[in-house]
Amino acid sequence: MRLAVVGNPSHRRVALFTDAVRRAGLPAPEVYPWRDVLTGGRVPGPGRLVRIESPGEDAEVDRLLRELGSGRPAVTAQHGQILGTAAAFAGLRLALDRIAAGGGELLNQPADILTMTSKPDCHALLASAGIPVPPALPPISGWAQLRASGWRRVFVKPAYGSSASGVLALTASGRRVSAITSVELSGLSLFNSLRVRRYDDEPSIAAIVDLLAPDGLHVEQWFPKAVLGGRALDLRVVVIAGRPEHIVVRTSASPMTNLHLGNARGDVAAVRAAAGETAWRAAMETCVRVAELFPRTLQVGVDLMFGARWRDHAVAEVNAFGDLVNGLDTHGAQVAAICAR
Amino acid sequence: MTINHFLSTFAGLPVVAADDEKSPGDPGAVAWRIDMDYDSGAAAFTTAFGQLLDRVGPGGPTALIIGEWGEAHDTPFPVEVLIDNADRLGALRSLFIGEMSFEQCEISWIQQTDLTPILTTFPLLERLWVRGSQDLVFKKRIRHEGLRELVLQSGGLPAAVVENVGGWDVPNLRRLELWLGVDNYGGDATVDDLAPFLAGRSLPSLTSLGLRNSEIADQVAAAVAAAPVVARLTHLDLSMGTLGDAGAEALLAGQPLTHLHVLNLSHHFMSPELAERLVDELPDVAVDISDPQTEEEWGRYTAVSE
Repeated sequence: MRLAVVGNPSHRRVALFTDAVRRAGLPAPEVYPWRDVLTGGRVPGPGRLVRIESPGEDAEVDRLLRELGSGRPAVTAQHGQILGTAAAFAGLRLALDRIAAGGGELLNQPADILTMTSKPDCHALLASAGIPVPPALPPISGWAQLRASGWRRVFVKPAYGSSASGVLALTASGRRVSAITSVELSGLSLFNSLRVRRYDDEPSIAAIVDLLAPDGLHVEQWFPKAVLGGRALDLRVVVIAGRPEHIVVRTSASPMTNLHLGNARGDVAAVRAAAGETAWRAAMETCVRVAELFPRTLQVGVDLMFGARWRDHAVAEVNAFGDLVNGLDTHGAQVAAICAR
Repeated sequence: MTINHFLSTFAGLPVVAADDEKSPGDPGAVAWRIDMDYDSGAAAFTTAFGQLLDRVGPGGPTALIIGEWGEAHDTPFPVEVLIDNADRLGALRSLFIGEMSFEQCEISWIQQTDLTPILTTFPLLERLWVRGSQDLVFKKRIRHEGLRELVLQSGGLPAAVVENVGGWDVPNLRRLELWLGVDNYGGDATVDDLAPFLAGRSLPSLTSLGLRNSEIADQVAAAVAAAPVVARLTHLDLSMGTLGDAGAEALLAGQPLTHLHVLNLSHHFMSPELAERLVDELPDVAVDISDPQTEEEWGRYTAVSE
């Protein structure tokens, strides 16, 4: 069976997978551009083993997703602009339906991609399966409702955002509020910045939250992460075919550990030593259990946080496209798993 | 910048978690650290504290670190737990209240309280460290003969706290360290508020003075350069602040500093030339000019504020 990949052809995600397939001595996968899929073009058909790649980091693909999802003409987002995440999610759902209808055999399942991409759905699934996650609020309509909730130290995330996009680490008590975020408020628009900054004034914070709210919010308790070597940390554990063997430590001086925000990779062995074998094994076990919730999807990227005292852990997010990790051959491992089927 | 590390020793003793399953041997030879989960309530801290006292035995710990007591961003430090257990804390000599990482609670959010009862209840206490100064209060007229070391870590130490501590009668205090912080987080103390410390009359035993993490570090340095207390010091610490060339020049032009053992100026905004001159002119002093900072368009940052 010939491999195929749906992706953005010029993105290195596609290049890395193609390279891994070639290294395994297989014919290069056929590439189906997202732009074509989204404009009614061809999708992989029967006899194809299909990897669905992230549609991210392509402005036109993003615009097409929003157009498809909303059923209305959409404008191109400015660089870094947070725009129409709910519409893009709706578009993704329709696009994945098209791919599924093509009849190829899918290596990652549309329903799983959608669940992982929807933070409220993913949280609910994990919680119902007994996976440790920080407590979450029911859906809220905006700043006023968040303030009225009485929750005082939370992460506010766009329901359908990716990586740290639009995320705020928020503390509110009495009259005082502060938020740490990579969001930049510019007039009535929101942008992702590469600089994590702090807002101490409630009007700005309220404006940001209320601008994000129409596309859906997911609010979780701020689970205090473990620190090591002067930095907070979490793990990205890419579980491939049930094996949690590709691990990156992400460390940060801010609450956002995402590596594109100027953060640094940490030492897996040092974290393992700090956690102790019991806590480490329990954490890996959790990652495997998360992957088991998506049994027909080849890989999942679990963001795992150790607690401040290393005694417990919790899952922050699960990423459908979380296998792009510099320095780790996640693609080679996936091709090997495919060949072993 | 933020705080993301924990002490491994305190008062010269290795730190051991209160709920560590392994026995550390002599319970008086370690610094016990009690730390709650982020979402635990007040009752849980009281219970855990009682369990620690049961574990340590008569007299209680000699050194104690209290980390997260449960929602410290919103719940003032429950000082009464210590006061109510005073008869079981007879051995207590060293106390650190609020050692939390940024992840657990940012320093500017740690809710302190009136800690005067700590000093009045524990006359044998020798070392008191406090992190966070939201609602922190110390009364003014305190005489405490035991206290040797006072460290107040803050992102913005209120002038009222500085002023009142300046009024204490602490004849045996050897080390004083104040993290002055920034005005935006409540650090409204001015150089004038530091006058009692700089004059040194009320602190006859002081040998180590830290005026750290200050956004008025140049003014502090200028005042220190002429301060009578400096002649008695072995350690002077102006680190973590916004010290720049103006402060460096004041230190170079001021009273001799050659008697110091240590001059800590790390995390600074001095030019390499002036920083090197300080090192060159104080050949017998361990001058720390590490961690140079670059001024950004919005100004100079102290090491820890938020």
